[in-house]
Amino acid sequence: MPEPDQALLEIHNLKKYFPVRRGVLSRVVSYVKAVDDVSFAIRKGETFGLVGESGCGKTTTGRAVLRLIEPDSGEIRFEGADMLQLGSAALRVLRRDMQIIFQDPYASLNPRMTIRTIVGEPFAIHDIAKGSDRDNRVAELLKTVGLEPSVMSRYPHEFSGGQRQRIGIARALALRPKLIVADEPVSALDVSIQSQIINLLADLQVQFGLTYLFISHAIPVIEHISTRIGVMYVGKLVEVGTSQQICVNPKHPYTQALLSAVPVPDPAARKHRIVLKGDVPTPINPPSGCRFHPRCPIAVERCKTEEPLLRPLEDERQVACHLAQ
Amino acid sequence: MNKVLEVRNLKTSFFTARGTVKAVDDVSFSLAKGETLGLVGESGCGKSVTAMSLTRLISPPGRVVGGQILFNGLDLLGLSEPEMRRIRGSQISMVFQEPMTALNPVLEVGFQIAEAVVAHEKVSRKQAWDRAVESMRAVSIPDPEKRAKDYPHHLSGGMRQRVMIAMALVCRPTLLIADEPTTALDVTIQAQILELLDSLRHQHNLSMILISHDLGVIAEVAENVAVMYAGKIVEIGPVMDVFHNAKHPYTQGLLHSIPKLGSSIARKARLDVIEGMVPNLLHLPDGCAFAPRCERRTPECSLSGIPLEPVTAKQEVRCIHA
Repeated sequence: MPEPDQALLEIHNLKKYFPVRRGVLSRVVSYVKAVDDVSFAIRKGETFGLVGESGCGKTTTGRAVLRLIEPDSGEIRFEGADMLQLGSAALRVLRRDMQIIFQDPYASLNPRMTIRTIVGEPFAIHDIAKGSDRDNRVAELLKTVGLEPSVMSRYPHEFSGGQRQRIGIARALALRPKLIVADEPVSALDVSIQSQIINLLADLQVQFGLTYLFISHAIPVIEHISTRIGVMYVGKLVEVGTSQQICVNPKHPYTQALLSAVPVPDPAARKHRIVLKGDVPTPINPPSGCRFHPRCPIAVERCKTEEPLLRPLEDERQVACHLAQ
Repeated sequence: MNKVLEVRNLKTSFFTARGTVKAVDDVSFSLAKGETLGLVGESGCGKSVTAMSLTRLISPPGRVVGGQILFNGLDLLGLSEPEMRRIRGSQISMVFQEPMTALNPVLEVGFQIAEAVVAHEKVSRKQAWDRAVESMRAVSIPDPEKRAKDYPHHLSGGMRQRVMIAMALVCRPTLLIADEPTTALDVTIQAQILELLDSLRHQHNLSMILISHDLGVIAEVAENVAVMYAGKIVEIGPVMDVFHNAKHPYTQGLLHSIPKLGSSIARKARLDVIEGMVPNLLHLPDGCAFAPRCERRTPECSLSGIPLEPVTAKQEVRCIHA
């Protein structure tokens, strides 16, 4: 187990508020608090899973890490360097070390580009290899993700969803990054194809010593692939721990409900579900105190007024709940 | 047993410029009163086209080209369109995946539910509205009198799906077809909707066809399950038997390949996989469509006309090696 000081990425107090504008003057009337004071660290070589329901801020967090979305405040340290303080030239160099794989393999590949251009684009942007050297590298990358190099001159529409996701992965690998942010990389794929891509990502991690920030709403997928997991709810991290701590023995009442809601593919295991009342609140006007208190089965008075901070509970585990023990 | 629905050798094809797609190819199953049948499979396997064929909602270039759909003994394929319209929405109703696109954005949701009543029964506008409110209460929408006057965009995804269910049930159908009813929803909201569907079907002794790509959803709700692959049922039987003792290599592969809760206890680096990809329906191989991806394939698998045959008392499988 790597020491905490071997963190590849450290995030401190990350905040991103999106303004809500109304009227002809587009005045800002309120803010969507998409990510509200989130801190965590990702260690070298591990897979950190970020899980939560729609609108919880997991995608915004992933994008902010790469500065694809400019955070409002906080600190993002990649190998110790504060990303938010870097100028555009220095950021460009650092970006080679961090890449992203998107959810929708249909929208993330330019339909007018050949596979050669798509996978070779990172080389072009960073002015690395040219001509036949670039072609050789692209061919090598395609082989790495399980595609024939001969597909280079073809276009994205000629490929199935799973193959397109492989192309997206090849592009992400081109510059030999250290960190890959994978944002729902298998959610759009068929069940039998998902496992192929999950295995590929696991193999590549070993082969290239990659570190993953893996974002998904699918809990069984997150549990399988992650070393540690962070659970988000309405812009806040509510629980962090090892994959087993979170998925086998969750402590936060939201994590417990989330896990009990996952349908299990075993008819003999029809179990008692903790069915939460009500909907996920909007991050525009989140509830006071603990954001989960209106739906929480064990909430007490204190939860309505006092916001629980993420606190260490046992080795590796942190929980943001007044009552968890 | 009291059969509500009996589907015999249903075939639906799409006649496209690039060739004929046999989207549903010789599908047979039956559904008893109060039973829930799960239809499971990957994209393009024909599960949704089966549902659309049952309600005769297939439009050109698609057409039901063969078979029988006996609903309480009446062959739906022999009915005229006006006769079919009397059944659709009253005795057989549907819930779709995307509640935002299935609702009209410029009409109050209560009005849209009331419309279903007016279309099928001789009632006044007022009575229809009251029925709509009642139906919304039955699906546990809080404050239904007020919510009935909301427009779809006022409601969350989970509430919209409740409205769809209220609309489907307002004429008290005997058969409900739910096509991926929870796929667009968050997992905690999915749990609410599955719980609701389960309690409603027991209350009304409703027969249900639940279509999903999610084996977990099927395992939680259905009594029987049909696994589809490339337009055909490859395995059918009680959920217990199919999930615990799958006989078809595709069903086995599917069940093994999905990550399961609790996998972090015995950490496995890799998942079992089904190699290859979902076939293109325009270029299906002869014989078993799964053979190219199957570990047990032999030359005999490419012989055409492999039947769905009983392997146990209740379980039928379309595989010569089962």
